[in-house]
Amino acid sequence: MAGEQLALTVLMGVFLVGVATLVSRMENLRAYTPLVSGDAGYGDSTATSHKPSGLIRWLTTVDHKDIGILYGIYATIAFVWGGLAVMLMRVELTTPALNVLGGTGTYNGLLTSHGITMLFLFGTPIIAAFSNYFIPLLIGADDMAFPRINGIAFWLLPPAALLIWAGFFLDPLTGGAVGAAETSWTMYTPLSAEQANPGVDLMLLGLHLSGISATMGAINFIVTIFTERSPDVNWANLDIFSWTILTQSALILFAFPLLGSALIMLLLDRNFQTAFFAVDGGSPILWQHLFWFFGHPEVYILVLPPMGLVSWILPKFSGRKLFGYKFVIYSTLAIGVLSFGVWAHHMFSSGIDPRIRASFMAVSLAIAIPSAVKTFNWIATMWNGNIRLTAPMLFCIGFVANFVIGGITGVFLAAIPVNLVLHDTYYVVGHFHWIVMGMIAFAGFGAIYYWFPIVTGKMYQKRLAKMHFWISEIGVAVTFFAMLLLGYLGMPRRYATYEFNGLIAPLAQVTTLHQVATIGAFIIMLGQLIWVWNLTQSYLEGPVVEDEDPWNLKETGQYSREFEWFGEQLDTTDEDTPTLAADGSGEPSDD
Amino acid sequence: MAREERETETSAAAKVSSWPLFVALGLAVGEVGVVMAIYPLAIGGLVLFAGSIAGILTEAGYTERPWRTLTALSGVFVALGLIVVVTQTGTSVGAIESALASTDTIVLRGFSIVGAGIVALAASIAGGSVTDAGPAA
Ligand code: HEM
Ligand SMILES: [Cu+2]
Repeated sequence: MAGEQLALTVLMGVFLVGVATLVSRMENLRAYTPLVSGDAGYGDSTATSHKPSGLIRWLTTVDHKDIGILYGIYATIAFVWGGLAVMLMRVELTTPALNVLGGTGTYNGLLTSHGITMLFLFGTPIIAAFSNYFIPLLIGADDMAFPRINGIAFWLLPPAALLIWAGFFLDPLTGGAVGAAETSWTMYTPLSAEQANPGVDLMLLGLHLSGISATMGAINFIVTIFTERSPDVNWANLDIFSWTILTQSALILFAFPLLGSALIMLLLDRNFQTAFFAVDGGSPILWQHLFWFFGHPEVYILVLPPMGLVSWILPKFSGRKLFGYKFVIYSTLAIGVLSFGVWAHHMFSSGIDPRIRASFMAVSLAIAIPSAVKTFNWIATMWNGNIRLTAPMLFCIGFVANFVIGGITGVFLAAIPVNLVLHDTYYVVGHFHWIVMGMIAFAGFGAIYYWFPIVTGKMYQKRLAKMHFWISEIGVAVTFFAMLLLGYLGMPRRYATYEFNGLIAPLAQVTTLHQVATIGAFIIMLGQLIWVWNLTQSYLEGPVVEDEDPWNLKETGQYSREFEWFGEQLDTTDEDTPTLAADGSGEPSDD
Repeated sequence: MAREERETETSAAAKVSSWPLFVALGLAVGEVGVVMAIYPLAIGGLVLFAGSIAGILTEAGYTERPWRTLTALSGVFVALGLIVVVTQTGTSVGAIESALASTDTIVLRGFSIVGAGIVALAASIAGGSVTDAGPAA
């Protein structure tokens, strides 16, 4: 042990010296300044500023657009990891017995990894990808208010992912001494406090880092939106996406530090012999309160910006302005406030005081109202509009449709008597997947297609994009309807096997529905393969977009700032087109 | 506010910085080191973290030179580390001294934070007196 630590110390010393050398060399980068500082326009300063080339550019960038791209790539990698994990689980669930995975522990590990990865390493970062790239463009800012903090926030995420996934890598290396965490994403105590596995500590640390990252990002967005707007952007004409990011950032600011503290308390319980969540200490229910006080706002942290994206994109292809712009904003703010008053709807069956339950039920039902306001606004926007079914629009419409099912199942769950029956069944899993997959991921896809020309300078293949939509929508419907039905039959969630007594649930139907859900999952996977292929292929070989208005927005008077910026880029540059690949080092582009 | 302006000015000039990556890395490594009781990682990570914070603040123009920030952070580490140690030993000096020989991991983790503070302090003194005083500066 002492020897190991000594060796590590030496390694660490060498590493630090290496870092110091590297950084002192990179100080030269500061020589990269704009050649000409043109008039204040956004495009001028970036088009002429030179960046280092290759990998170093991506490691040292503090440019909001580059960081946005980094977030996007990161989120995609996480999406693949989380997706593969769940595919293994779905395959296991095609039969009641355990016959694919090594053991139920493996299933639990995959389950935990899937949930945490999708929420914290895919959901939050994919939103940050759009907000970093586009908020400064939409509000006419030069960059984020704190570009370096922006860089730190991103770079906290790769170590976070490595730590969260560490158990899987270390399991074979340590002969099983360190394994994947099996706590589920809710990390309920006493289970999470008592599992000795150090993989849990690593996962908690990773989660903690991702929380710090989100908080830093939120502060940055709040300051940016408040102080960096161009003079002609005011609160009355601030775009709807920026409004949702502002609200989301406020939610993050109140919710994530709390998660961070709760995680530290859990780490202390595990490693420093405190008793915050011990049965004869602060009590395990304390964890549930702290976790869900963060956890419910977290679901709105994840869904508000996608709602903003849809509110932004949907009117563009309806040929009409967003119906009730003000009310969409009010409902966003209302949801933001109310989301802190509903957390105990996740704890209805935990034995808390019935009077507390009733009040949480009332607030939870109330939150459905602003949600419905939004839905009606989207529908009213499309009503009598001149609808163009492009891929981004298809995803927006799918988003609204999926929200109807996801939202209404949530309202049912918020009713205490219904909840007591359906809690901890697949119904809950169905409910939130209609939302997280059917809305958050869909809005992400729609926005990626919508802005693909700006980010890459290329156009995607439209047929493949539409196939991506239809296959995904069918897959979502098949998979998650099956889950709602499984819940009605009483199938509990978070189980690797279901060889239970036929008196508990009709085993034959449960098996069939599980198989249906697995088929649906494969359909979804097929859709995503098409997506990845389309984006990669189009980025490399797609037709170059020369039109500053690829979506014909001028016709309906909806041409907006980010495309204006794109137009400027097309005009001002001869060699450096604003593409993902152009590293600004002056290499001639080969298109 | 003058500070904010300075930050935006620098960033418009150079859209690159080598520090954010290392701030993040230092924090991550340090956290893992302290919680998992891997002392070299704890010390190295925290030192890297403190150094990068000092560096990034200097680069952004919030401070003239990095050394005072580094000194301040080293003070914070020493204090934090001692608090951790004291939770296990009590506040008497004798107890803390004898705890140096302890094998209790909590005590050792506390000392590793103190250690990071001492290394950072040494670096700041060396930086302030050698680098800045030398002809190269
Ligand atoms: C219309 C508003 C909504 C209502 C009234 C609602 C209600 C509920 C209730 C009562 C539960 C607890 C079910 C149980 O465990 O017994 C629940 C679970 C959940 N909801 Fe919603 N929900 C709504 C919208 C959303 C949204 C927008 C999201 C995501 C962005 C979401 C994500 C989740 C998640 C992830 C869970 C499961 C948490 C777990 O792992 O236990 N819900 N919802
Ligand atoms: Cu909730």
